[in-house]
Amino acid sequence: MSDDIAVGIDLGTSYSCVAAVQDGAPQVIPNEWGELTHASVVSFLPEGTVLVGNNAKKNIITNAENTVYSAKRLIGRFFFSDEVKKAQAVMPYKIVEGPNNSVRVEVGGRVLAVPEISALVLKEMRSVAETALGREVKKAVVTCPAYFNDNQRQATRDAARIAGLEVLRIINEPTAAALAYGFGKDINQKVCVYDLGGGTFDVSILEIGKDVFEVLATAGDTYLGGDDFDDRIMSWLAQGFLENHQLDLRQNKFCLQMLKEAGEKAKIDVGRDGTAEIHVPAICQTPEGEVLELRQTLSGDQFNRMVMDLVQRTFKVCDEALQSARLTAADIDAVILVGGPTRLPVIRQSVRHYFQKEALTGIDPDQVVALGASIQASALLNEAAATAGQASYLLDVTPLSLRVGTVGGYTERIIEKNTPIPIEKSRTFTTSRDGQERVKLRVYQGESNRADGCELLGEFEFSGFRIASRGEVQIQVTFEIDPNGIVHVSAADLETGQRASTTIHLSSGLSEQDIQGAIDHHAEIELSGHRAA
Amino acid sequence: MEIDFIMEVEQRAAALDGLDYFEVLRLPREAGAADVKAAYYRESRAFHPDRFAALPSPELRELIARIYRRVNEAYTVLRDDGKRQRYLADVTGPDRAAKLRFTEAEEAAFHDEQKKKLEVQLGQTPNGRRLYAQALSDVEAQRWDSAERALRAALIYEPANARFKELLARVEKSKPKVDPYKIR
Repeated sequence: MSDDIAVGIDLGTSYSCVAAVQDGAPQVIPNEWGELTHASVVSFLPEGTVLVGNNAKKNIITNAENTVYSAKRLIGRFFFSDEVKKAQAVMPYKIVEGPNNSVRVEVGGRVLAVPEISALVLKEMRSVAETALGREVKKAVVTCPAYFNDNQRQATRDAARIAGLEVLRIINEPTAAALAYGFGKDINQKVCVYDLGGGTFDVSILEIGKDVFEVLATAGDTYLGGDDFDDRIMSWLAQGFLENHQLDLRQNKFCLQMLKEAGEKAKIDVGRDGTAEIHVPAICQTPEGEVLELRQTLSGDQFNRMVMDLVQRTFKVCDEALQSARLTAADIDAVILVGGPTRLPVIRQSVRHYFQKEALTGIDPDQVVALGASIQASALLNEAAATAGQASYLLDVTPLSLRVGTVGGYTERIIEKNTPIPIEKSRTFTTSRDGQERVKLRVYQGESNRADGCELLGEFEFSGFRIASRGEVQIQVTFEIDPNGIVHVSAADLETGQRASTTIHLSSGLSEQDIQGAIDHHAEIELSGHRAA
Repeated sequence: MEIDFIMEVEQRAAALDGLDYFEVLRLPREAGAADVKAAYYRESRAFHPDRFAALPSPELRELIARIYRRVNEAYTVLRDDGKRQRYLADVTGPDRAAKLRFTEAEEAAFHDEQKKKLEVQLGQTPNGRRLYAQALSDVEAQRWDSAERALRAALIYEPANARFKELLARVEKSKPKVDPYKIR
């Protein structure tokens, strides 16, 4: 099937990127306007079509209620989580509760699950690739932050399926970046990938041994990203405005959006030029009808002080990753920077200071993940890659410990974090009542002994085993983490070998039926703006 | 895909449950840390599922995935000095067959506790359970006579309980033999 094609897609919080291996080399695919990265923004237009990408981003202000951005912050989360509460406060679009504590977005009179929103971004990436390559694209490797849990990974995979893509593999963003760096280079190095994206931060320590990319440890923070840097500038601007005009820009979602845009622009300017002139004409109106503008100058020093604690948080995560890998910063041969915010001088300087060496140059932090994903996509399609010596082996790990709930709100660890995947582990459970027909098990991911300190993946119910006195039936439950980092749980009666049937409750994810419905529904949605050129 | 390789996969998958981690990684027991890593890379190159993602047969892919999961399991234990030492003691000991797959210390303790709890609960009648529990604590304290009495009484309430009988047999065996005819 050498005529088949698969693309690599970096589905980012703020920006997404698509790449494919063409003529043996990975290349980022531009859209009709030559843009290489595309805002992960979905705008629902009044005529029923959907606009995705950099043009949709302009609608965040003009069509605020019908324009969804940063959906990745919400994907695979429960409605009651802090991140969702925070998003509800600042996002102009409506975030509502769906079945099983899931998150839904209400937009244009419709209620959509978060994977359905991400599916539209992926559909746009697919369309960009199809237009540029002049052929149908049906297969993809999609990346996600290394620190994503099972719920978030499953939701990402669901999104790709809804977009009509067969997901060959979900790979971790830092691993993809390391692959793009080391592929075909025949090097033996220990590298650190420092991945500061729009909404997440990941660190992976890898050992590259020619064609083998072994992840020694990974650590991260799914609540830390470039957006938080923007927030700092926004707060500063809003505070200054409040003092001058006694008006709080944060009270109005429209003003807030303009403020956010100004914040992001100021961050980029200050990073590039060392200082930023902020000017937003007509940011708001006083009750008397006077139109006010916002004008400020942000110096590099000021900015650095504002975000220093955020920068330091990233190095705490680096400490943790190095410790898990049993290495020190001095053992690292190369540092790879990933994500737009790593362009900031404050990050570059801090990285140099921490690792006592310059980060690698010549790697585009916005594109490297998509490039790595495309290399993997091409290798997965090619049956002969291994024998032809073109294969590379990604030996990745699970970022979080897998646990089961025990009595009294405690959990018991089954698989430790940073264990190589795929992996399986079995545990034997016995019935505790005479004639018991079903056994329930809650599965969690996290590092806390307490269930409430971990993320619930779901409640599994096993039935169909022998019915006998308590303690007589032994049910062997097998926990498996597949190469995508997705958890599978199955059970069998230890004595008879009969497989128990499994039902999942309390999962925030979509059911197979939901996904099928969404696939049908999404096939009809038309992406706008492609025939304009 | 060559037939030789398919045969190797099938044989290896079938033999998997009888192999210890050293055999899974094809390593001698005295191998050093660098050897463990080299072996892990070698087996990864041979059996990593990504290499076979394009294989049409899902059965063969599952066999390969099974082998590779065990390779990862073996590596996780053998790369860690503490775990490796304990594992080595396990597989060179008398219980080798039961201990080919490593269990964490805390996990083993958890299981022992669970087992104990269950045994205490065992028995279908309240009196049977009470007497059995008493017998268990007597056994632990090596009060054999008392344990024997409790178990015989428990068997009056539950004459068919195999576990009671089993423990009674053990108690009778453990009881110090007093030979009344032996001349001291």
